[in-house]
Amino acid sequence: MNRKGFWVLISLAMILVIIMSACQPQTEFVTTEVKVTEIVEKISEVEVPVDKRVLIYNSYMSDPDPRVADADAVQIFQEDHPDYEIVHSTVAHEDFKQAIRAYLTASTPPDVMTWFAGNRARFFIDNDLIMDISDVWESEGWNESYPKGFRALSTVDGNQYFLPTSWYWWAVYYRPSIFAELNLEPPETWEEFLEVNETLKENGITPLAIGTKYRWTAAAWFDYLNMRINGPQFHIDLMLCKESYDDARVAKVFEYWGDLLENGYFLEDAAAYSWSEALEPFIAGDAAMYLMGDFIRDSLPDEIEADLDFFRFPIIDPSVPVGEDAPTDGFFIAANSQHPEAAKAFLAYLGGVDYQTLFAEDLGRLPTNSGVDRTMFTAQQQKGMELIDGADFVAQFYDRDTTPELADEGMNAFMAFWDDPDSIADLLADLEAARQEICTIE
Amino acid sequence: MLSKRRNLVPYLFLLIPVIVYLIWIIGPMMYTFYLSLTDWNGLVTPSFIGLENFERLFRDKVFVLSLINNLKWLLAFTTIPVVLGLGLAMVLNQAIPGEKIFKMSFYMPMVLATVVSGLIWGWLYHPRGGLINFILETTHIVEKGPGWLSDRDIVLWSIIIVAIWRQVGYVMVLYLAGLKSINPQLIEAAHIDGASYWRTFWSVILPLLAPVTTIVMVISVIDSLRAFDLVSIMTRGGPANASSVLANFMYIESFNNYKMGYGAAIAVVMFFLSLAFILVYLWRVMQDEMEY
Repeated sequence: MNRKGFWVLISLAMILVIIMSACQPQTEFVTTEVKVTEIVEKISEVEVPVDKRVLIYNSYMSDPDPRVADADAVQIFQEDHPDYEIVHSTVAHEDFKQAIRAYLTASTPPDVMTWFAGNRARFFIDNDLIMDISDVWESEGWNESYPKGFRALSTVDGNQYFLPTSWYWWAVYYRPSIFAELNLEPPETWEEFLEVNETLKENGITPLAIGTKYRWTAAAWFDYLNMRINGPQFHIDLMLCKESYDDARVAKVFEYWGDLLENGYFLEDAAAYSWSEALEPFIAGDAAMYLMGDFIRDSLPDEIEADLDFFRFPIIDPSVPVGEDAPTDGFFIAANSQHPEAAKAFLAYLGGVDYQTLFAEDLGRLPTNSGVDRTMFTAQQQKGMELIDGADFVAQFYDRDTTPELADEGMNAFMAFWDDPDSIADLLADLEAARQEICTIE
Repeated sequence: MLSKRRNLVPYLFLLIPVIVYLIWIIGPMMYTFYLSLTDWNGLVTPSFIGLENFERLFRDKVFVLSLINNLKWLLAFTTIPVVLGLGLAMVLNQAIPGEKIFKMSFYMPMVLATVVSGLIWGWLYHPRGGLINFILETTHIVEKGPGWLSDRDIVLWSIIIVAIWRQVGYVMVLYLAGLKSINPQLIEAAHIDGASYWRTFWSVILPLLAPVTTIVMVISVIDSLRAFDLVSIMTRGGPANASSVLANFMYIESFNNYKMGYGAAIAVVMFFLSLAFILVYLWRVMQDEMEY
């Protein structure tokens, strides 16, 4: 009896402890990946002399090149403003996206944070988590020196909350050396694009590199196919919950997409790779094209960068206005910031010509401030700007234009479609059901 | 007087752990129960919506898929590592040369952080340059190795294999400890009575190991229901939720989609699921034990 009781007690105690630990969403989990890759890194000393004004800055610029540029920027600011001390943390991109709500709702949040312009910032603005910085816009003269589009992107009810600092374009990147070898020209129409794919495949080269472990790479294909087939207006209405996913027009997108999959134009086992892991065959010359944002350059070796060019995502229907993805990144101040004055001084620097010139030079990002001297741009940057200038409509990106929940459902559906293209009717029906549920909640 | 005081002392010692336990375990648990009845995005005040989260949960295909995946995991986890671990313990309990090295190497995976195991196996499973496909392809067993982590049909099993690889050494150590505590005279007596090796194992050793088996089963059930880290590191539940398990689903819903109430509802379901499994198992074990 006693022995029995003992075992029952021990077991029950264990169950309780272990189950509890499973049921509590532990913060430990949030940082798992951060620990692995040693991404959190204090760049400046945390101990700060009393007379210095502290400022906490959290950044998601964790890719190698942006990380260096980011650290440089902080250092330059400190040299110019010796009375401020920036406590700077760099958090892995994917982890930052998940941790930001915890940051924002903390009683002492980081003062300045990196973030995405558009719907993703709007959500926090609507929840009073982002500080109104109209005064900085006013005093720094940004109302004049920023193009109207960027000002509109930062404005809610007539006040500015966001500071867009850089943007980049999406395009189909390719290896000119492979194209030259096979006598291929960058395609402009869908038919030409399919021919290029077929030729590459016949020659044993994977036409399209892609890594879908983190799913958003597939969302780019949806964005572009939808904009090329149905036009940017329909696309953005779909993103804003105004159109439905069981629309025949959406189904058409997947017909085009399905053709590419069926013909085996995409890299095999794409789901096993992150976007940067899928660069490996692209670098090795086993894959020829990659639909990607211009940040692809940050992760490529210099000798490959010399053998890299891009073309506009091919036109499918010439009668449809041309839409492009050109995501804008920037900064904001947390509404609960404990050091608003220091934060605003830092923001003034980030929005200024010096910082944006630095970022344009180091990373090839395009600046938002019109004051930046455009003659210094490389040929590639000029070409990227022309690409966007020539567009009738500029979208941010799938998971920036629609709500996070719906983006998650959508990207899951893309992955399921990727694996089993025949199931698309069911997938779209489910996605539509999810849309109706999510959009009414919002 | 003296005996009274002695009765009080244990409770005083217990007081601190109990308080800590209440604050850090029971409190958050109750809060999770409360959250599961609310709609909360992590920003505003949670709004009470009754059982709506649970209604939605049982209509959710991903939930059903995760649940089935957890059950597969449970099935594999309560059989394969237990049998392998017991077998290894039986073999290594004898004085064979180098047994210490064997014991150590079998236990080694458990010493590695799960995250590290996940990353290493991720490389082994790499479809293009991974060791497994390299061996399969260079020995021409298959023309092209499978995408271990990208094929929806095998991804879950690829992850379960890693979990089993970790667990076997742990189970082995538990059984080794159990075997050490068995009175050798009992086994000798069985031999003298002419019992074969198998007979001794089934009728003497295994029943005497029952308490260890209880612990092993309890651990296996709980570990398989709370499986998270390997999935999160290796696939994040993908592709297309094929390797999603409840804990991963809960994490994605709470911290990726910011549906804290919904995530809490998943946690509550996991809690009751674990509880049910364990209670049934303990109840059965207790009945068996009465026979001795």
